[in-house]
Amino acid sequence: MNDRILVWDLPLRIFHWVLAASFAGAFLTAESERQRDLHLLLGYTFAGAIAFRLLWGLVGTQHARFSSLRFGPAAIARYLRSLLAGRPERHVGHGPIAVLMIPLLLGLGLVVAGSGWATYAEFGGEWMEEVHEIAAVAMLVAVVAHVLGVIAVSLLQRENLVLPLLSGRKAGAPGSGIRTSRPLVALLLVAALAALWLPGLAARERRLAARGTTAAVAVEVGGERANHGD
Amino acid sequence: MRVAIPIAAALALGAITARAERPADFEARFAAEARTADPAFAGFSAERGRAFFTNAHGGDWSCASCHRNDPSVVGEHIVTGKRIEPLAPSANAARFTRPASVAKWFQRNCNDVLQRACTAQEKGDVLAWLMTLPAKETR
Ligand code: HEC
Repeated sequence: MNDRILVWDLPLRIFHWVLAASFAGAFLTAESERQRDLHLLLGYTFAGAIAFRLLWGLVGTQHARFSSLRFGPAAIARYLRSLLAGRPERHVGHGPIAVLMIPLLLGLGLVVAGSGWATYAEFGGEWMEEVHEIAAVAMLVAVVAHVLGVIAVSLLQRENLVLPLLSGRKAGAPGSGIRTSRPLVALLLVAALAALWLPGLAARERRLAARGTTAAVAVEVGGERANHGD
Repeated sequence: MRVAIPIAAALALGAITARAERPADFEARFAAEARTADPAFAGFSAERGRAFFTNAHGGDWSCASCHRNDPSVVGEHIVTGKRIEPLAPSANAARFTRPASVAKWFQRNCNDVLQRACTAQEKGDVLAWLMTLPAKETR
Protein backbone atom coordinates (compact mmCIF):
# COMPACT_ATOMS: atom_id res chain seq x y z
CA MET A 1 0.00 0.00 0.00
CA ASN A 2 2.82 2.41 0.71
CA ASP A 3 4.67 1.95 -2.55
CA ARG A 4 5.23 5.13 -4.49
CA ILE A 5 3.43 4.50 -7.72
CA LEU A 6 3.25 6.70 -10.82
CA VAL A 7 -0.22 8.27 -11.09
CA TRP A 8 -0.06 11.53 -13.06
CA ASP A 9 1.73 11.45 -16.40
CA LEU A 10 4.13 14.25 -17.32
CA PRO A 11 1.93 15.98 -19.95
CA LEU A 12 -0.90 16.17 -17.41
CA ARG A 13 1.40 17.76 -14.83
CA ILE A 14 2.72 20.26 -17.36
CA PHE A 15 -0.85 21.05 -18.41
CA HIS A 16 -1.91 21.70 -14.83
CA TRP A 17 0.80 24.22 -14.02
CA VAL A 18 0.68 25.89 -17.43
CA LEU A 19 -3.06 26.40 -17.01
CA ALA A 20 -2.60 27.78 -13.49
CA ALA A 21 0.26 30.09 -14.50
CA SER A 22 -1.42 31.37 -17.67
CA PHE A 23 -4.66 32.08 -15.79
CA ALA A 24 -2.86 33.98 -13.05
CA GLY A 25 -0.73 35.84 -15.59
CA ALA A 26 -3.72 36.78 -17.72
CA PHE A 27 -5.45 38.18 -14.64
CA LEU A 28 -2.40 40.27 -13.76
CA THR A 29 -2.07 41.68 -17.29
CA ALA A 30 -5.77 42.44 -17.79
CA GLU A 31 -5.90 46.04 -16.61
CA SER A 32 -3.34 47.79 -18.78
CA GLU A 33 -2.83 48.24 -22.51
CA ARG A 34 0.91 48.12 -21.80
CA GLN A 35 0.64 44.37 -21.26
CA ARG A 36 -1.94 43.70 -23.94
CA ASP A 37 0.51 41.57 -25.96
CA LEU A 38 1.40 39.46 -22.92
CA HIS A 39 -2.28 39.10 -22.07
CA LEU A 40 -2.90 37.74 -25.58
CA LEU A 41 0.04 35.31 -25.37
CA LEU A 42 -1.16 34.09 -21.98
CA GLY A 43 -4.68 33.72 -23.37
CA TYR A 44 -3.49 31.59 -26.31
CA THR A 45 -1.44 29.49 -23.88
CA PHE A 46 -4.48 29.06 -21.64
CA ALA A 47 -6.73 28.10 -24.59
CA GLY A 48 -4.11 25.70 -25.93
CA ALA A 49 -3.75 24.07 -22.51
CA ILE A 50 -7.51 23.47 -22.30
CA ALA A 51 -7.61 22.07 -25.84
CA PHE A 52 -4.78 19.71 -24.91
CA ARG A 53 -6.59 18.61 -21.73
CA LEU A 54 -9.77 17.80 -23.65
CA LEU A 55 -7.75 15.63 -26.04
CA TRP A 56 -5.74 14.07 -23.20
CA GLY A 57 -8.99 13.19 -21.43
CA LEU A 58 -9.70 10.90 -24.36
CA VAL A 59 -6.27 9.47 -25.21
CA GLY A 60 -4.14 10.09 -22.11
CA THR A 61 -3.02 7.59 -19.46
CA GLN A 62 -5.50 5.87 -17.18
CA HIS A 63 -5.97 8.52 -14.46
CA ALA A 64 -5.93 11.40 -16.97
CA ARG A 65 -8.88 10.01 -18.92
CA PHE A 66 -12.36 11.39 -18.44
CA SER A 67 -13.53 7.79 -18.32
CA SER A 68 -11.86 7.59 -14.88
CA LEU A 69 -14.40 10.15 -13.64
CA ARG A 70 -17.31 7.75 -13.32
CA PHE A 71 -18.74 8.93 -10.03
CA GLY A 72 -22.48 9.37 -9.53
CA PRO A 73 -24.22 11.55 -6.93
CA ALA A 74 -24.21 8.64 -4.48
CA ALA A 75 -20.43 8.26 -4.74
CA ILE A 76 -19.97 12.01 -4.25
CA ALA A 77 -22.23 11.99 -1.19
CA ARG A 78 -20.43 8.98 0.28
CA TYR A 79 -17.06 10.64 -0.27
CA LEU A 80 -18.19 13.89 1.39
CA ARG A 81 -19.55 11.93 4.36
CA SER A 82 -16.23 10.09 4.68
CA LEU A 83 -14.40 13.44 4.69
CA LEU A 84 -16.68 14.87 7.36
CA ALA A 85 -16.33 11.73 9.46
CA GLY A 86 -12.55 12.18 9.35
CA ARG A 87 -12.06 8.79 7.68
CA PRO A 88 -11.52 9.91 4.10
CA GLU A 89 -11.92 7.43 1.30
CA ARG A 90 -8.74 7.20 -0.72
CA HIS A 91 -8.67 7.40 -4.48
CA VAL A 92 -5.49 6.79 -6.45
CA GLY A 93 -6.42 9.11 -9.33
CA HIS A 94 -9.18 11.72 -9.22
CA GLY A 95 -11.61 11.63 -6.32
CA PRO A 96 -15.38 12.00 -6.77
CA ILE A 97 -15.34 15.82 -6.38
CA ALA A 98 -13.24 16.05 -9.54
CA VAL A 99 -16.34 15.02 -11.47
CA LEU A 100 -17.76 18.45 -10.57
CA MET A 101 -14.57 20.51 -10.49
CA ILE A 102 -12.96 19.43 -13.77
CA PRO A 103 -15.96 20.19 -16.02
CA LEU A 104 -16.57 23.42 -14.11
CA LEU A 105 -13.00 24.69 -14.50
CA LEU A 106 -12.57 23.52 -18.10
CA GLY A 107 -16.05 24.78 -19.07
CA LEU A 108 -15.47 28.23 -17.56
CA GLY A 109 -12.01 28.24 -19.13
CA LEU A 110 -13.52 27.62 -22.56
CA VAL A 111 -15.93 30.52 -22.07
CA VAL A 112 -13.13 32.81 -20.86
CA ALA A 113 -10.82 31.91 -23.75
CA GLY A 114 -13.57 31.99 -26.41
CA SER A 115 -15.02 35.33 -25.28
CA GLY A 116 -11.54 36.83 -24.94
CA TRP A 117 -10.64 35.84 -28.44
CA ALA A 118 -13.98 37.08 -29.78
CA THR A 119 -13.51 40.42 -28.00
CA TYR A 120 -10.12 40.89 -29.58
CA ALA A 121 -11.45 39.88 -33.00
CA GLU A 122 -14.35 42.34 -32.42
CA PHE A 123 -17.12 39.81 -32.64
CA GLY A 124 -20.05 40.68 -30.46
CA GLY A 125 -18.84 43.97 -29.02
CA GLU A 126 -19.49 45.16 -25.50
CA TRP A 127 -21.57 42.23 -24.26
CA MET A 128 -18.76 39.90 -25.33
CA GLU A 129 -16.32 41.87 -23.16
CA GLU A 130 -18.83 41.60 -20.36
CA VAL A 131 -19.00 37.80 -20.79
CA HIS A 132 -15.19 37.67 -20.76
CA GLU A 133 -14.90 39.60 -17.52
CA ILE A 134 -17.73 37.82 -15.71
CA ALA A 135 -16.53 34.36 -16.77
CA ALA A 136 -12.96 35.21 -15.68
CA VAL A 137 -14.14 36.31 -12.24
CA ALA A 138 -16.36 33.19 -11.98
CA MET A 139 -13.33 31.09 -12.84
CA LEU A 140 -11.24 32.89 -10.22
CA VAL A 141 -13.90 31.98 -7.65
CA ALA A 142 -13.82 28.35 -8.85
CA VAL A 143 -10.02 28.32 -8.67
CA VAL A 144 -10.07 29.64 -5.10
CA ALA A 145 -12.63 26.95 -4.20
CA HIS A 146 -10.42 24.36 -5.92
CA VAL A 147 -7.32 25.43 -3.97
CA LEU A 148 -9.17 25.57 -0.64
CA GLY A 149 -10.69 22.17 -1.39
CA VAL A 150 -7.29 20.65 -2.11
CA ILE A 151 -5.87 22.10 1.11
CA ALA A 152 -8.85 20.84 3.13
CA VAL A 153 -8.73 17.34 1.65
CA SER A 154 -4.94 17.19 2.05
CA LEU A 155 -5.32 18.00 5.75
CA LEU A 156 -8.23 15.62 6.34
CA GLN A 157 -6.56 12.84 4.41
CA ARG A 158 -3.10 13.59 5.88
CA GLU A 159 -1.71 13.33 2.39
CA ASN A 160 -0.14 16.14 0.38
CA LEU A 161 -2.13 16.21 -2.86
CA VAL A 162 -0.04 18.96 -4.47
CA LEU A 163 3.33 17.19 -4.45
CA PRO A 164 2.15 14.37 -6.77
CA LEU A 165 1.28 17.06 -9.34
CA LEU A 166 5.02 17.77 -9.48
CA SER A 167 6.53 14.32 -8.98
CA GLY A 168 3.71 12.30 -10.53
CA ARG A 169 3.97 9.83 -7.65
CA LYS A 170 1.66 8.90 -4.83
CA ALA A 171 1.35 6.17 -2.24
CA GLY A 172 -0.84 3.42 -3.59
CA ALA A 173 -1.30 -0.23 -4.30
CA PRO A 174 1.18 -1.55 -6.86
CA GLY A 175 -0.63 -2.16 -10.11
CA SER A 176 -3.03 0.80 -9.70
CA GLY A 177 -0.47 3.19 -11.21
CA ILE A 178 0.44 3.93 -14.81
CA ARG A 179 3.39 2.44 -16.61
CA THR A 180 4.77 5.44 -18.48
CA SER A 181 4.76 9.17 -17.88
CA ARG A 182 4.62 9.77 -21.67
CA PRO A 183 7.82 11.86 -21.98
CA LEU A 184 7.51 12.20 -25.77
CA VAL A 185 4.10 13.90 -25.55
CA ALA A 186 5.53 16.11 -22.81
CA LEU A 187 8.34 17.10 -25.13
CA LEU A 188 5.85 17.97 -27.87
CA LEU A 189 3.92 20.09 -25.38
CA VAL A 190 7.05 21.98 -24.37
CA ALA A 191 7.97 22.45 -28.04
CA ALA A 192 4.50 23.90 -28.75
CA LEU A 193 4.89 26.31 -25.81
CA ALA A 194 8.32 27.39 -27.06
CA ALA A 195 6.95 27.88 -30.58
CA LEU A 196 4.35 30.28 -29.18
CA TRP A 197 6.44 32.14 -26.60
CA LEU A 198 9.84 32.59 -28.22
CA PRO A 199 8.56 34.52 -31.27
CA GLY A 200 6.00 36.30 -29.07
CA LEU A 201 8.61 37.56 -26.63
CA ALA A 202 11.03 38.43 -29.45
CA ALA A 203 8.32 40.57 -31.07
CA ARG A 204 7.70 42.27 -27.72
CA GLU A 205 11.42 43.03 -27.37
CA ARG A 206 11.54 44.49 -30.87
CA ARG A 207 8.55 46.71 -30.17
CA LEU A 208 9.96 47.90 -26.85
CA ALA A 209 13.24 48.79 -28.57
CA ALA A 210 11.42 50.63 -31.36
CA ARG A 211 9.25 52.43 -28.83
CA GLY A 212 12.32 53.97 -27.25
CA THR A 213 12.65 56.20 -30.30
CA THR A 214 8.95 57.00 -30.83
CA ALA A 215 8.57 57.79 -27.12
CA ALA A 216 11.38 60.31 -27.32
CA VAL A 217 9.64 62.02 -30.24
CA ALA A 218 6.32 62.00 -28.40
CA VAL A 219 7.88 63.63 -25.32
CA GLU A 220 9.51 66.27 -27.47
CA VAL A 221 6.30 67.05 -29.32
CA GLY A 222 4.38 66.99 -26.05
CA GLY A 223 6.80 69.38 -24.36
CA GLU A 224 6.61 71.79 -27.25
CA ARG A 225 2.82 71.73 -27.21
CA ALA A 226 2.75 72.25 -23.47
CA ASN A 227 4.85 75.40 -23.87
CA HIS A 228 2.42 76.71 -26.45
CA GLY A 229 -0.40 76.19 -23.99
CA ASP A 230 1.23 78.41 -21.35
CA MET B 1 -48.96 36.51 -24.86
CA ARG B 2 -47.58 35.64 -21.47
CA VAL B 3 -44.03 35.95 -22.76
CA ALA B 4 -44.74 39.32 -24.37
CA ILE B 5 -44.55 41.29 -21.11
CA PRO B 6 -41.15 39.97 -19.97
CA ILE B 7 -39.82 40.43 -23.49
CA ALA B 8 -41.10 44.00 -23.64
CA ALA B 9 -39.63 44.64 -20.19
CA ALA B 10 -36.28 43.19 -21.24
CA LEU B 11 -36.26 45.30 -24.40
CA ALA B 12 -37.13 48.42 -22.41
CA LEU B 13 -34.40 47.66 -19.90
CA GLY B 14 -31.95 47.00 -22.72
CA ALA B 15 -32.93 50.28 -24.32
CA ILE B 16 -32.28 52.14 -21.07
CA THR B 17 -28.95 50.53 -20.25
CA ALA B 18 -27.65 50.54 -23.82
CA ARG B 19 -29.18 53.88 -24.83
CA ALA B 20 -27.15 55.44 -27.58
CA GLU B 21 -26.04 58.93 -26.66
CA ARG B 22 -24.52 61.72 -28.70
CA PRO B 23 -21.14 63.38 -28.10
CA ALA B 24 -22.94 66.49 -26.83
CA ASP B 25 -24.56 64.41 -24.06
CA PHE B 26 -21.10 63.40 -22.84
CA GLU B 27 -19.89 66.98 -23.01
CA ALA B 28 -22.85 68.10 -20.89
CA ARG B 29 -22.17 65.38 -18.32
CA PHE B 30 -18.45 66.21 -18.13
CA ALA B 31 -19.36 69.89 -17.70
CA ALA B 32 -21.70 69.06 -14.81
CA GLU B 33 -18.99 66.93 -13.17
CA ALA B 34 -16.35 69.60 -13.71
CA ARG B 35 -18.61 72.23 -12.14
CA THR B 36 -19.15 70.02 -9.09
CA ALA B 37 -15.40 69.49 -8.76
CA ASP B 38 -14.58 73.18 -9.23
CA PRO B 39 -17.24 75.90 -8.89
CA ALA B 40 -14.97 78.24 -10.88
CA PHE B 41 -15.25 75.93 -13.92
CA ALA B 42 -15.17 78.15 -17.03
CA GLY B 43 -16.00 75.79 -19.88
CA PHE B 44 -13.95 73.50 -22.06
CA SER B 45 -11.17 74.46 -24.43
CA ALA B 46 -10.42 72.57 -27.65
CA GLU B 47 -6.89 73.98 -27.63
CA ARG B 48 -6.27 72.68 -24.10
CA GLY B 49 -7.73 69.35 -25.21
CA ARG B 50 -5.31 69.12 -28.14
CA ALA B 51 -2.33 69.95 -25.91
CA PHE B 52 -3.46 67.38 -23.34
CA PHE B 53 -3.93 64.71 -26.00
CA THR B 54 -0.51 65.10 -27.59
CA ASN B 55 1.44 65.62 -24.35
CA ALA B 56 3.27 62.69 -22.73
CA HIS B 57 2.81 64.23 -19.23
CA GLY B 58 6.30 63.21 -18.18
CA GLY B 59 5.82 59.56 -19.19
CA ASP B 60 6.63 57.67 -22.36
CA TRP B 61 3.17 57.65 -23.96
CA SER B 62 0.64 60.25 -24.97
CA CYS B 63 -2.92 59.65 -26.16
CA ALA B 64 -1.49 60.27 -29.63
CA SER B 65 0.82 57.23 -29.27
CA CYS B 66 -2.16 55.10 -30.29
CA HIS B 67 -4.72 57.59 -31.66
CA ARG B 68 -2.17 59.75 -33.56
CA ASN B 69 -1.74 63.52 -33.41
CA ASP B 70 -4.74 63.69 -35.72
CA PRO B 71 -7.39 61.33 -34.28
CA SER B 72 -9.68 61.86 -37.26
CA VAL B 73 -7.64 59.22 -39.06
CA VAL B 74 -7.12 55.54 -38.26
CA GLY B 75 -4.73 54.89 -35.36
CA GLU B 76 -2.55 51.95 -34.38
CA HIS B 77 -2.11 50.30 -31.00
CA ILE B 78 1.49 50.97 -29.92
CA VAL B 79 1.82 47.53 -28.28
CA THR B 80 -0.16 45.13 -30.47
CA GLY B 81 -0.10 47.06 -33.75
CA LYS B 82 -3.85 46.58 -34.03
CA ARG B 83 -5.91 49.07 -36.05
CA ILE B 84 -7.86 51.63 -33.99
CA GLU B 85 -10.78 53.37 -35.69
CA PRO B 86 -10.71 57.19 -35.67
CA LEU B 87 -11.68 58.85 -32.38
CA ALA B 88 -13.19 62.02 -33.85
CA PRO B 89 -17.00 61.72 -34.02
CA SER B 90 -17.03 63.31 -37.48
CA ALA B 91 -14.90 60.46 -38.81
CA ASN B 92 -16.51 57.69 -36.79
CA ALA B 93 -20.20 57.94 -35.90
CA ALA B 94 -19.87 55.22 -33.25
CA ARG B 95 -17.63 57.39 -31.04
CA PHE B 96 -19.06 58.92 -27.88
CA THR B 97 -22.36 57.08 -28.22
CA ARG B 98 -21.86 54.29 -25.64
CA PRO B 99 -21.37 55.41 -22.02
CA ALA B 100 -19.90 52.08 -20.87
CA SER B 101 -17.28 52.09 -23.61
CA VAL B 102 -16.33 55.73 -23.08
CA ALA B 103 -16.01 55.25 -19.31
CA LYS B 104 -14.01 52.05 -19.67
CA TRP B 105 -11.52 53.43 -22.18
CA PHE B 106 -11.02 56.79 -20.50
CA GLN B 107 -10.18 54.88 -17.32
CA ARG B 108 -7.82 52.39 -18.98
CA ASN B 109 -6.11 54.85 -21.28
CA CYS B 110 -5.70 57.62 -18.71
CA ASN B 111 -4.16 55.11 -16.30
CA ASP B 112 -1.72 53.93 -18.95
CA VAL B 113 -0.70 57.45 -20.02
CA LEU B 114 -0.96 59.46 -16.77
CA GLN B 115 -0.90 56.77 -14.07
CA ARG B 116 -4.10 58.34 -12.76
CA ALA B 117 -7.72 58.94 -13.82
CA CYS B 118 -8.48 61.92 -16.06
CA THR B 119 -10.50 64.74 -14.52
CA ALA B 120 -13.86 65.77 -15.97
CA GLN B 121 -12.16 68.98 -17.13
CA GLU B 122 -9.56 67.00 -19.07
CA LYS B 123 -12.10 64.63 -20.60
CA GLY B 124 -14.29 67.54 -21.62
CA ASP B 125 -11.36 69.43 -23.14
CA VAL B 126 -10.35 66.38 -25.19
CA LEU B 127 -13.93 65.82 -26.34
CA ALA B 128 -14.32 69.50 -27.21
CA TRP B 129 -11.22 69.25 -29.39
CA LEU B 130 -12.30 65.94 -31.00
CA MET B 131 -15.66 67.53 -31.87
CA THR B 132 -13.93 70.33 -33.78
CA LEU B 133 -11.97 67.91 -36.00
CA PRO B 134 -13.33 67.64 -39.53
CA ALA B 135 -13.72 64.20 -41.12
CA LYS B 136 -10.73 63.24 -43.25
CA GLU B 137 -11.91 59.85 -44.33
CA THR B 138 -14.86 59.23 -46.58
CA ARG B 139 -15.98 55.82 -45.53
C1 HEC C 1 -2.05 51.97 -25.80
C2 HEC C 1 -2.87 52.57 -26.82
C3 HEC C 1 -3.80 53.70 -26.42
C4 HEC C 1 -3.46 54.89 -25.82
C5 HEC C 1 -2.09 55.38 -25.39
C6 HEC C 1 -4.70 55.62 -25.68
N1 HEC C 1 -5.74 54.90 -26.18
FE1 HEC C 1 -7.68 55.44 -26.24
N2 HEC C 1 -8.20 53.62 -26.99
C7 HEC C 1 -7.34 52.61 -27.27
C8 HEC C 1 -8.06 51.42 -27.64
C9 HEC C 1 -7.46 50.06 -28.00
C10 HEC C 1 -9.43 51.77 -27.56
C11 HEC C 1 -10.63 50.85 -27.81
C12 HEC C 1 -10.76 50.35 -29.18
C13 HEC C 1 -11.65 51.21 -30.00
O1 HEC C 1 -12.65 51.73 -29.46
O2 HEC C 1 -11.35 51.38 -31.18
C14 HEC C 1 -9.48 53.16 -27.18
C15 HEC C 1 -10.65 53.87 -27.02
C16 HEC C 1 -10.72 55.17 -26.55
C17 HEC C 1 -11.96 55.87 -26.29
C18 HEC C 1 -13.35 55.28 -26.51
C19 HEC C 1 -14.27 56.09 -27.34
C20 HEC C 1 -15.62 55.45 -27.47
O3 HEC C 1 -16.51 56.11 -27.95
O4 HEC C 1 -15.78 54.29 -27.12
C21 HEC C 1 -11.61 57.10 -25.81
C22 HEC C 1 -12.55 58.21 -25.36
C23 HEC C 1 -10.17 57.15 -25.75
N3 HEC C 1 -9.66 55.98 -26.22
C24 HEC C 1 -9.44 58.25 -25.30
C25 HEC C 1 -8.07 58.22 -25.05
C26 HEC C 1 -7.36 59.27 -24.34
C27 HEC C 1 -7.98 60.54 -23.78
C28 HEC C 1 -6.06 58.88 -24.27
C29 HEC C 1 -4.92 59.59 -23.55
C30 HEC C 1 -5.08 59.80 -22.12
C31 HEC C 1 -5.96 57.59 -24.94
N4 HEC C 1 -7.19 57.23 -25.39
C32 HEC C 1 -4.78 56.88 -25.09
C33 HEC C 1 -5.96 52.67 -27.20
C34 HEC C 1 -5.23 53.72 -26.64
